[in-house]
Amino acid sequence: MNITIVGGGNVGYYLTKTLLAEKHRIMLIEQSMPRCERIVAAFNTSNLSVTHGDGTDAESLLESGVRDAEALIAVTGQDQNNFVACQLGKDYFGVKRTIARVKNPKNIRVFEKLGVNSVISSTSRIAGSINQELDWSDVNQLFLQAASHVRVKEAIIGESSPFCGKRLCEIGLPKGMIMVCLVRGNIALIPNGETQLLADDSVIMLGAETELPDVLEALRGKVK
Amino acid sequence: MYIIIAGCGKIGSNLAKRLSSGGHDVVVIDADSKSFSLLGSASNCMSVTGMPIDEDVLKEAGIDRADALVSVTGDDNVNIMAAQMARQLYHVPVVITRCYDPAREEAVRTLGLTTVCPALLAVNKICGQLSPEEDKL
Repeated sequence: MNITIVGGGNVGYYLTKTLLAEKHRIMLIEQSMPRCERIVAAFNTSNLSVTHGDGTDAESLLESGVRDAEALIAVTGQDQNNFVACQLGKDYFGVKRTIARVKNPKNIRVFEKLGVNSVISSTSRIAGSINQELDWSDVNQLFLQAASHVRVKEAIIGESSPFCGKRLCEIGLPKGMIMVCLVRGNIALIPNGETQLLADDSVIMLGAETELPDVLEALRGKVK
Repeated sequence: MYIIIAGCGKIGSNLAKRLSSGGHDVVVIDADSKSFSLLGSASNCMSVTGMPIDEDVLKEAGIDRADALVSVTGDDNVNIMAAQMARQLYHVPVVITRCYDPAREEAVRTLGLTTVCPALLAVNKICGQLSPEEDKL
């Protein structure tokens, strides 16, 4: 797929890396020259073109090749810039699918109502949403509207975690909190009480916003 | 009319003073509360501190009942986003957006916005005064 990425900061950088590995063709626009150079130097492939320019400006978008893009992903650090990039992409250049990162979670609803196809408030989920059916922002938005205290978070089990090597039934998660999914290597499974947690497992937790941080910290094995 | 002005810089503050002395109800939004000093002490304008692309701020400014919104902050993209929110989410009848960069005006208009570009206005005015005949053509 031909994909335009607006913004070459950390999110743009890793998004580019991830999507290049998945054989997409990336056209990236970034305003800062040092950041452009960093990305050009990091990826030696003809599947990447980097344009030094403002992705909220029609001229720069055109120059970057946005007319060939099937998707535009705006991941600058400012909501208003991501919004304008998506609007220009869709309404001015006719890009079919627009995806934006937002800082203010309330802007998820605003962006979607104003025509942005997918809105993501967590950087870690952007790359996944390109290829996966699961739309993370929808999930969290549902919770924001229906049950405002509930969140979904991801953690990677650390070697030093007190839970590492334990079965789920031995851990004793707080009431109402569940482990939705466990990803080990390329396999995703729905854990049950007998599921043993191993280092580097990626787990997705659903629970009360107030209780999640402590559990996530324990799963990651960070020492206070 | 009930008018919301996003951005209390030189244009926003002067516009607010003019409109409110003309009998309109004016609310000014700016992220920096210090900028409201530009409104002067005699002004009847209401002020709301916050980002004009934040729905909570727009609601506090009374976007639900606004007859018009003018976005004149120093950031074109904030202006565009605030204007689209006013137009499409709150159906404000009149929405005017300032566009700093003349090169962008055409693209911004295709998004359905009514724009004013101060730089182009100044150029037109100056050209008109330099060669009044050409201006008439």
